Amino acid sequence: MNASRFFPLGLALLLILSIANLVFGAVSLSLEQVWQGLSVGSEQHFTVYEYRLPRIFLAILVGAGLALSGALVQGVIRNPLASPDVLGVSHGAGLAAVFYMTYFAGASTDWLPEVALAGGLVAALILWWLCGAQSSAIKLAITGVALAAFWASCIDFLMLTKPLEINNALLWLTGSLWGRGWTQLQALLPWFLLVPVALGLSKYLNLLDLGDDSATSLGVSPQVLRLVSLAIAVALTAACVSICGPIGFLGLVAPHLTRKLVGGRHQALLPATMLTGACLLLAADLAARTIDPPIELPAGILTAIIGAPYFLWLLLRMK
Amino acid sequence: MNTPIKSLSLGILLCMGLVLLSWWNLFAWSVVPVTGLDVWHAVTAFDSQVIAQRIVIDLRLPRLLTALLVGAALAAAGTIMQGLTRNPLAAPSVLGVNAGAALGMALVSTLPAFYGAFSTSIAAMLGGGLAWLLVMLLGSAWRMGGNDQGRLVLAGVAISALCAALTKAVVIMEEDQAAGVMTWLAGSLADARWQSWSTFWPVALVGLIGALLLTPALNLLQLGEDNARNLGINLLRSKLLGSLLVLILVGATISTVGSIGFVGLIVPHIARLLMGQDFRLFLPVAMLLGAGLVTLADTLSRAITYPMETPAGAILALIGAPFFIYLVRKRTL
Amino acid sequence: MSLSAHQLSVGYHGQAIVKDMDLTLPDGRFIALLGPNGCGKSTLLKCFARILPAMSGEARWQGQNLHAYPSKQLSKELALLPQTQPIPEGIKVQDLVAYGRSPYTGFWGKLSQQDHQIVEQMMQQTGTYELKDKLVSELSGGQRQRVWLAMVLAQDTPYLLLDEPTTYMDINHQVELMHQLQRLNKQGKTIITVLHDINQAARYCDHLVVMKEGELKHQGSPDEVLTSAMLKEVFSLNAQIHRDPVAGTPMCVVED
Repeated sequence: MNASRFFPLGLALLLILSIANLVFGAVSLSLEQVWQGLSVGSEQHFTVYEYRLPRIFLAILVGAGLALSGALVQGVIRNPLASPDVLGVSHGAGLAAVFYMTYFAGASTDWLPEVALAGGLVAALILWWLCGAQSSAIKLAITGVALAAFWASCIDFLMLTKPLEINNALLWLTGSLWGRGWTQLQALLPWFLLVPVALGLSKYLNLLDLGDDSATSLGVSPQVLRLVSLAIAVALTAACVSICGPIGFLGLVAPHLTRKLVGGRHQALLPATMLTGACLLLAADLAARTIDPPIELPAGILTAIIGAPYFLWLLLRMK
Repeated sequence: MNTPIKSLSLGILLCMGLVLLSWWNLFAWSVVPVTGLDVWHAVTAFDSQVIAQRIVIDLRLPRLLTALLVGAALAAAGTIMQGLTRNPLAAPSVLGVNAGAALGMALVSTLPAFYGAFSTSIAAMLGGGLAWLLVMLLGSAWRMGGNDQGRLVLAGVAISALCAALTKAVVIMEEDQAAGVMTWLAGSLADARWQSWSTFWPVALVGLIGALLLTPALNLLQLGEDNARNLGINLLRSKLLGSLLVLILVGATISTVGSIGFVGLIVPHIARLLMGQDFRLFLPVAMLLGAGLVTLADTLSRAITYPMETPAGAILALIGAPFFIYLVRKRTL
Repeated sequence: MSLSAHQLSVGYHGQAIVKDMDLTLPDGRFIALLGPNGCGKSTLLKCFARILPAMSGEARWQGQNLHAYPSKQLSKELALLPQTQPIPEGIKVQDLVAYGRSPYTGFWGKLSQQDHQIVEQMMQQTGTYELKDKLVSELSGGQRQRVWLAMVLAQDTPYLLLDEPTTYMDINHQVELMHQLQRLNKQGKTIITVLHDINQAARYCDHLVVMKEGELKHQGSPDEVLTSAMLKEVFSLNAQIHRDPVAGTPMCVVED
């Protein structure tokens, strides 16, 4: 499949999934009810407009953001096992956010994305410091996974020692889109100004695929490019994590899947990855809400159930 | 440290340390004041009228014994796994056995279809066994050594992540039983009583004795599979036996106190540092050290948020992950 | 236009491998950098390709400090084919060759009509045109090397730097490549290549630069440079110089 066929198909799938997300849930609505629900005063207005619609937008944004981060990271460090969640950035951001919520219980949640960003950056720096630039793919991935486990155990520890503040944090941490609405969407949106910047790097990311030496001779500074791309990836991940909590494996799976479909040119790969990520998260959230209604599973659990075997498969395939 | 006298004196030293630690564990950080002397009286001349002594005997003692045995069992399991895979990063929690066992228990205790089908400890063993089997199959698809040690660990991590996600899904979907499952996922000794002890110790003891009997085979396995075969080791049998022992040890501990990680990773390394490479020497030391580590974590679990309790598993995870990173860092993968 | 070194030292981790070198490379020639392992020939090439910075002194391009020269402009004038290349995933041959045009394209990397023409022409020149829709990761080693050469040629630079291009190639591919480079040189491209094989250098190149322990020992035409005395001095080798029976160029034959 090439890019010219991928995008129409992907967009169609996105639309279908969005509509399915509007229709299905704890109560299933007819298309007509959904349509009426969009206008104020209708019986279904709350369900459709206040509950399901913002959630769809969030799923699209978060899915796209995490997938784009994953593609940037994989492109820049040329490691098929890398993604922000495998490298522990997501959980680092998560730890910072939980810390903020438990120790500054009264503080405004408006700052959550920035706090998460700081946590994500620190996590990335620690990984860098532990591994250096010359680590093998496997070693980087293991260290990242171990760090992720460490951040996760710190989160557990915080929550277990501060049981009173747990509710707030727990709700947030599960990698779920439950209960998020227009406010969270507003908080997330400005961070997506980074997306055009990332897309603008496409041409240069292509050259990085040729190796540092060739990239240099083609007029690109690999170090600067790497730094900028990783910073964007960390920022986008942290912004998404600060809204939904760590959603595992999405940033790993979406870029791989997309590379198979549209190839490795970043001009096509980056936007296509965002589309794939959005579709995956929408599908995961749809499944999470409809497997056993009215109980909702966190979407992050479903992405992990798909993503972990995929990771295994990647490992098996790697030379 | 290879002469018998040195080994012996080290062993005695460790045992004495363990006894002191145990004594401390029995009285420290109790909501109802208990003193070290109460412990002494409770053990030597028990008077059921004294509250402090009753606390020691009814609550603290089973908890302590469980902690000791759990530590020994996990340390033994970790040592066996590191020996079988010849991978210094191997441990039940790293290679997915813990998560698999947890999933098995979660399925049995929440899904109606499985109610009463097995006891929880059998379910834990089956779940852990399945995960371990998967990791081992993947591992033998690659040839052990260098790069593939890292792969095995990543495979374990992925299987752990999968099992953990499934466990969470099951727990959330069957909320009625969820509370119980959640507390034990964190791995706490707070609920260890004489009743659970009575079912735990026979199984764990069998596993520990089996582990000690397996040590000569483990020693030979370190020479590489071909050499071990030449030296008359039945590879398949030792591997199956070792795996079975791991499952018995881990299954029994997990169904008793929940998922406690990293003991199996850390302790064998320290024991090896003290005693050298001979499994016959360092496995017993690893057991003693594991017992000490879990007892210490349990004592701390009462101290950190006194008067409330923090699960010992959470404390061990905090120590364990950095140690794991340290191990990864000093090796080329 | 020329490439030169002035009191240039280059190295790794503060350790100079090329030491205080003064060297001017002539325009329009097919130049080989020769010398024993560790003599600094690849290091020098990497400095000219601005992969390594100068530790002291400077490398000059058209009389200006090469490392201060505008990067984009330089990438239209100097191209490098590294010794080993990664195998990018999901990239087609024509995409890879088109990456060579990136110094000329806008920020989105869209190819103009002229870019397309050059890409196609270079693929034809290197015999990779029929591979254009294949993935680079599916090619054989020899094919891949040709595709990379096409990419570097698409960069359309008057100077071309190559780091041991024949090292991992079968002999037939080596000959093919050297012929190709010779043709390019005839078309007016200056070619600077690190080579291992002295006879290969003497046969195809018209200017040899010999280094030892980070210093320039000899440079000039093969006839001037390739002598028994030089081989003794630089490689500690007893050898006779004979004429190549086919090309008439000098070649060394090692004595016992």
